[in-house]
Amino acid sequence: MNKLNNTNSLDIPENYLVTPMYVFFLIHSMQIGVGILGFEKYLVEKAGYDAWISILIAGVFLHLILWMIYRLLQNGGGDIVQIHKNVFGKYIGGFLSLVFSLYFLLLTFTVIITFIEVIKVWVFPSLQVWIFVFVLLSLVYYLVSGGFRVITGVCLISVFIGLPLLLLKYFPVQAGHSLNVYPVISHSVTDILAATKQSILSFIGLEFLLIYYPFIKNPAKSKKWAHFAVFYTTMIYLISLIVTFVYFSEEQLKQVLWGTISAWKIVEFPFIERFEYVGIAMWLYVILPNICLGLWGATRIPKRLFNIKQKYVLIAFILVLFFPAAILEGRPVIDAVNNLSGQAGFYVLLYIPVLLVLKTISDKVRKKREG
Amino acid sequence: MWKWKRKEKSSTEQTQQKSKQKKSLTEFIQSLQNSEDFVCYSLGGENECTISYIKTMSDSKILNRSVLPILNDGIFQSIEEIKQNIPVENMTVTEDIDLIQEKVMFGYIMIQLSNSAKEVLLIPAVSLEARQVSIPEVEFSVVGPKEAFVETLNTNINLIRKRLPLPQLTIKELTIGKVTKTRVAVIFVDGVVDPKNVETVTQRLEDIEFDQLIDSSFISQILADNSNSPFPQFLDTERPDRVVSNLIEGKVAIMADGAPHALTCPTTVVELFGASDDYFVPWHLATVFRLIRLFAVIFSVLSTPLYVAVLTYHHEMIPGELMATIVSSRADIPFPPILEVIVLELTIELLREAGARLPTKIGQTIGIVGGIVIGTAAVDAGLTSNVLLIIVALSALASFTTPIYQIGNTIRLIRFPFIIGAQMWGLIGVSMCMVFFIGHLVKLQSIGRPFFEPIYPLRVHDLKDSFVRLPFSKQTERPTLMRTKDSQRMDASRANAKRDIDE
Repeated sequence: MNKLNNTNSLDIPENYLVTPMYVFFLIHSMQIGVGILGFEKYLVEKAGYDAWISILIAGVFLHLILWMIYRLLQNGGGDIVQIHKNVFGKYIGGFLSLVFSLYFLLLTFTVIITFIEVIKVWVFPSLQVWIFVFVLLSLVYYLVSGGFRVITGVCLISVFIGLPLLLLKYFPVQAGHSLNVYPVISHSVTDILAATKQSILSFIGLEFLLIYYPFIKNPAKSKKWAHFAVFYTTMIYLISLIVTFVYFSEEQLKQVLWGTISAWKIVEFPFIERFEYVGIAMWLYVILPNICLGLWGATRIPKRLFNIKQKYVLIAFILVLFFPAAILEGRPVIDAVNNLSGQAGFYVLLYIPVLLVLKTISDKVRKKREG
Repeated sequence: MWKWKRKEKSSTEQTQQKSKQKKSLTEFIQSLQNSEDFVCYSLGGENECTISYIKTMSDSKILNRSVLPILNDGIFQSIEEIKQNIPVENMTVTEDIDLIQEKVMFGYIMIQLSNSAKEVLLIPAVSLEARQVSIPEVEFSVVGPKEAFVETLNTNINLIRKRLPLPQLTIKELTIGKVTKTRVAVIFVDGVVDPKNVETVTQRLEDIEFDQLIDSSFISQILADNSNSPFPQFLDTERPDRVVSNLIEGKVAIMADGAPHALTCPTTVVELFGASDDYFVPWHLATVFRLIRLFAVIFSVLSTPLYVAVLTYHHEMIPGELMATIVSSRADIPFPPILEVIVLELTIELLREAGARLPTKIGQTIGIVGGIVIGTAAVDAGLTSNVLLIIVALSALASFTTPIYQIGNTIRLIRFPFIIGAQMWGLIGVSMCMVFFIGHLVKLQSIGRPFFEPIYPLRVHDLKDSFVRLPFSKQTERPTLMRTKDSQRMDASRANAKRDIDE
């Protein structure tokens, strides 16, 4: 046991740690991704104009999950790999950790192909996908090989660059009808809850905390930043949703696949119009943390499990991502992948309370045995 | 791996050199006698001593006034006795052949009691040719001090010391360069500086394995954390006032003999866009100038790539009225935007390079002739559009606003990847290039400290003197980046004490 503890000791040198404040950027930038460009349609299909309530419920749910994640990690002795090992033992725990790794990889993959879909639909219909994926993944390799601190920097900058895009919401509000939002609550509770489940899919990303937790200096202090990040994300989703409601009519919204991008189209300045091109180009910064942190998390788990160099795993995973991303195309396939990763994310979030319960039980049993 | 190779090579070199140096004093004199400017003669009379020196390096006044009269007058039994009688400071008596060689090559006069004696007296009589201290030409400022460094290390240190009369101002000297044996000084204020920074710098300087060190820019390239980066990781300045203010902030300065520039580190990318003028004008003006400079740099890098991106792929983005202007200016042009841009950018680079190589007066003429004549002719001939000519000229102008010459070169260069990116994937390509460079900056370090500070790691405190410059009363602490031992610049409560009306 002692020996095992040694090999898995998580004493990360101080110069690789980040201060608690960055948890805000890490969580927030991970939650905002390609989802926000077109999440409105799915919510409206379920709960119509009452979907904003679903967003709020989802926000509360996520705060709860975040609280549980912190409970898990606080005395878990490191990250998810360690917790799994303590609760389930070496083999089952290791297998579950691998599932997490694959899940992170799936999220990364989803982001990449969805972004490529956006580019193909909105900018370059005849994009040479494999060259684009190749350049994008080389870029990601360059960033991820810089380590966690560099990825945190990318998250920070992505949040800052994404901020001005929020101001563009002013244009659709100006052109829209605020009466659209009334009357309030015309859907049943089940409809609203169905939309809540749907909206949670856009919020996934905070579970990465399970793997980068040991990289936070004074992790206990990062709690408020994490909750603040979730709150901020919820607010951004809420504002986006309401702005889209104001701009589109309910029936039209069901036909609009990319609500936010469509709303960018009306932005007009004396020297520039059709702002969606700029928006999509800048969206690269927003999705980059998703890909980088996703790949980092996915490659970190095998490193922790098998003690192999993360660089090799990274190259392997990038190759794994490259071929399907270069080949897969078409709306049905991408919808399917999005649904799959959404479902997976939902179950991962549900798995966290289960894990918390199991861990509490196993901790108690262990204490009794030792006591 | 490459470091390991270098080490192995150097160790063999060192043994070779050691065996070379094991020669005797007579061999050393013999090898010098091949040169015409080496003087070696025996003094007749009662003292039968030999005087040797290099005529071109030594000051004959000292020899004639202080050394020869004494030697001719008295009778001396030992070399120590001579030393006591000659009225020149800092003489040494030694047998060490390495020391003798080093000193004589620098212009010391060597005195032996007899031809065969191993012990010699070394009298400092160095005569150095030095340029007068003149006004800074690269980092000119309208107000503020107008002294610039020269090629002599002693003069340069004098320029620093007279501004910083502090016993804690420490100067460590090293000799670097296998052949050139250049004196390199590491300068810092003890008690303010983080000793780790000094250690890193000295360590890296000592590790330098190179035969020549002609200029301080050699040091900045060899010492760089990432030598493949286009960004300078040391701030290269010719202004003593700037070096002094950096030293007080807790930075380390490196100066080499023979180089009219000082390097200060650790530095950040933001600092490279700050001019010393910024501290000589009121803070609001300084802030506005800095923001203008920042805008100029962004404009200079992005304007032509955006032109390529928008005109090649996203015409829809241009509003109708503006489109008419652009279309009419581009109507006769046979080239696609990318070719047009590359031709014009290369022309500008050509003019700039030609201007830099020519003497100042001709250089200016070349600039005007080239700019106006070629530009107008190109537009008239229908090879480039007016709009692009304006954009390229403006972006060239904007790239000159950077106060540090080295970062100006970087900006010249990094524009081209952006243009290629724009041609490949329009705006998305531009933004991909941008991501690469931002990622690169985040990764980059200057002697182990983050180069992209205060943006990442985000240090709000250091932002006070970055894109904006707040008044001195607000800058109560030294930058966090340097991790100074003494972080307080002043007593903040006294500096910012609020007074009531009529008090």
